[in-house]
Amino acid sequence: MIAKRTDFENELERIRQGLAELNGSALNLPVDSAKISRFAYLQYQCASLTGNLEALGDADSTIDYAIRHLGPSGDLYFLKANIHFKLHRLNDVEQDLQLGRDLLLSTPGRALQADLDFQKGRYDAARQEYEALITEDRTWDSLARLAYFNFKMGDIEKADRLYDEAVDELTAKQMRHYSWLELQRGVLDLSRGDYEQARSHYERADRAYSGHWLVQEHMAELAGAEEKFDEAERLYCNVVDQVPRPDFQQALGELYLTMEKPAQATEWLDKARKGFLESAERGEVHYYHHLADFYADVEENGPEAVKWAGKDLELRRNFSTLSALAWALYRAGQFPEALDLMNEALASGAKDARLFRTAGMIYTAASPNGKGAWYLEKAAELNPNLKNFHVHR
Amino acid sequence: MADHNDPNAVNSIFSDIDVSAADLYDIFGFPSSNTDGGEKVVIALTFASMPSTGVFDTDMLYRILVSSDPRVVGLSNDEHHLKGLLRYFDAIKEKFLGPFKASEIRVTVDQSQRATVKFIDFPGASFSTVIDTNKVTTIDTPDGHAIKAYIGGRDDAFFNDLTGFFRSINYAPQFYRVPHTMAGSRELKIPKTLIELEGNHLFNFDPNDPEWGYGNNKRELPPGPHTWNGDKFFKDANGNFRFVYSGRDCQAGININAIILEIPLAFITDAPDHNRIVNTWGESWVLKAADKIETIPDHPFWLENPIALIGQSKIDDELKKYKLVDTDGQPFADAALSEREDNRQLGANNFWLAPHFIKRLAHLGWGFGPSITALGLQTSFDHDNSPVSVHKTYSLVTAAFPRVKKTLFQHLNMPDDSWNPKGLNIPLRRPVEVFVPNVCAIDMDTTGTWPYGRRPEDQVATRFLSLFLDMEAELNGKKYHIELLNDPALWNSVPIEPKTAPNPMKNDKEFLKDFPYLADPWG
Repeated sequence: MIAKRTDFENELERIRQGLAELNGSALNLPVDSAKISRFAYLQYQCASLTGNLEALGDADSTIDYAIRHLGPSGDLYFLKANIHFKLHRLNDVEQDLQLGRDLLLSTPGRALQADLDFQKGRYDAARQEYEALITEDRTWDSLARLAYFNFKMGDIEKADRLYDEAVDELTAKQMRHYSWLELQRGVLDLSRGDYEQARSHYERADRAYSGHWLVQEHMAELAGAEEKFDEAERLYCNVVDQVPRPDFQQALGELYLTMEKPAQATEWLDKARKGFLESAERGEVHYYHHLADFYADVEENGPEAVKWAGKDLELRRNFSTLSALAWALYRAGQFPEALDLMNEALASGAKDARLFRTAGMIYTAASPNGKGAWYLEKAAELNPNLKNFHVHR
Repeated sequence: MADHNDPNAVNSIFSDIDVSAADLYDIFGFPSSNTDGGEKVVIALTFASMPSTGVFDTDMLYRILVSSDPRVVGLSNDEHHLKGLLRYFDAIKEKFLGPFKASEIRVTVDQSQRATVKFIDFPGASFSTVIDTNKVTTIDTPDGHAIKAYIGGRDDAFFNDLTGFFRSINYAPQFYRVPHTMAGSRELKIPKTLIELEGNHLFNFDPNDPEWGYGNNKRELPPGPHTWNGDKFFKDANGNFRFVYSGRDCQAGININAIILEIPLAFITDAPDHNRIVNTWGESWVLKAADKIETIPDHPFWLENPIALIGQSKIDDELKKYKLVDTDGQPFADAALSEREDNRQLGANNFWLAPHFIKRLAHLGWGFGPSITALGLQTSFDHDNSPVSVHKTYSLVTAAFPRVKKTLFQHLNMPDDSWNPKGLNIPLRRPVEVFVPNVCAIDMDTTGTWPYGRRPEDQVATRFLSLFLDMEAELNGKKYHIELLNDPALWNSVPIEPKTAPNPMKNDKEFLKDFPYLADPWG
């Protein structure tokens, strides 16, 4: 009996077919803007769907070639900005948005600018633009953006409502987007320790778009949190098999640590460390926050964690990177410096169980004023299962 | 992978939205010539043949809404002012949105390509049946009527020079590869016109590339500014204007999918002698993502009950699972008057667009009016004797209204009396009555030719342009009429090249004399 192909396999095949069709002609001179944009888009989509970040470089090269021949097309720079965003090259994103013809006047360009503002800690600007975009056109992706904003700022109810609205905008022709939204909703539930709801969303994500490793990866984290370790192990093994990326290898290694299987844990954590460092040596920046986390939590190596968290903070000064550096400084025993940064992170208005837990630990170590206990208590209120297995997203 | 949000919106703009089964093309409606057993009305809703001709997208739901009314006299002459017009809009709004809601025919097609057809809120009954696609079927209703139905592939019954129309409104995506991120560079800020503007190199016909703008023959959009700074119409060495139209049929050889019905009037209304107007419009809805994963294909209820009476609660629950995508009532109501913005897909409920309709009509008038005058014809639009088309937009309806007053309220003369075979005292329709609400209003005492419905053979694209003619003017002793611009003799007598009617005179395939009327699909 032949197994039914999954939605993921079908879509990937369509993309590869599209690439094969355009491969011979897309780069021919004179350059056809529609053809080459589509070619670059398919390269981007293929890399995104397979989780292959290195392959994003192919799309980037195609775009550079197209721009040389066609000039600063807004579409091409928009795609380029998205690639740079995925790779955390935020200054490049800023430049792309400026260079693309009329890009900052367009809805997608403005949405990306707001995402950039969010990453750079310009929260008011991000929120205002998300709200303006929704007022102009109630699209699912703008709603999802504002939902995420509210999620991170601690307004879970509003986030939930906005995700609901975003879901309602999607049709049967957009099942991958629907699946992605269900994952976000699951993450939101997981962040407050509601495993049952999270599972329900992840299962819907899987039914909507079958066979996607991204769903398995979320399911694996959830299974780990629920102490269903065999299931988590099986799912993570599938994921690292399909997408051999260091961040997933780290997750599997940490799962083995939780399962008290030190030999397997070491094997995967070594792989992860190697992958992260090789990426950084190539001049890539998108694993800086993973390196910071890896050294702070896995190896408990404060100075190394400080090094990488500092580099990440240089790229984007937001509550998440501030908190990461504060935590690294805590690991390095630099409590007053950690406290300064944590206060800056908290001043953003973000409300998140992990953020509050970190704040609690730092306050407890740096200041005997009782705030540490308060933050720890708040963290436990926000997520009663905070100590369970989790990954850093 | 990362600690940032990534809603994949990039896919939304790059996945080159293919022709979609939700894209409604036309709705035709006319009284059937077959009156055996009583009067019948023919309604045909056409849409993109996706996934292929005769094969239906199972995520779609199509609605044909039907509402019958007595023929009423529209706006009286003393109401030809803005206040009167707004009062008129309010009155018809109440009629369409009030308690007497329309009946509907709802169609979905399952995986085995069998169509479920639901007749909802008709006077006799609400009922449902399942029929084969691509086959003429007679549906017997619970109250004893027989409805003919055909749900399948046909030849596209629309015949027009779409490229010419887009050239007339300087619509860049027909001629250029316009980046998705340049949404403001579609209808360029160049005067609309029926004859070419001197120096309008962005859109004027290129004799070295006559196929430009046809098919998928597009160019790269040059860097801006995308404007025109000329001050006259183009004339060739012989002093002839250049027509933006070519008379070509851009829809030749193209198939569509269609829902075609021939319905007894007595099934639509229990007062067929009184309710002589059948208003109809179509809608396309697509299944919501959340409901797709809950869908159980081939629901046993429908399979076991080929003709099942259905309750209102069931119906509403069904529609909640879908999202409205497109509507169709009047030809050109979208493209010409609403600029095809998605959020204006309101069908009959386009009342709030009425002020926009007036402003848009004035905008078009500043383009088409002067070109009509230049050709030696008289226009209904007040353009202050402008020697050339003007690009002008309005933010205030009060400023636009005086310009279009005559265009809105003039009677649309018919070329002869054949449209009114019974010789009844039926008032000539006016543009304002035709476009708001956006429905096909079929007068059962006429032949149903536009604007008294719409017959497949009507050249509606050319008739639409006649709105800008002054219907009080005369040519060769005869009043202007809606077919004037479709008369080859006219074009032979004016200084223009090519000497052709704007759009083709007839469809590329002969229509059928009997149901389902639209021609067989191309093989």
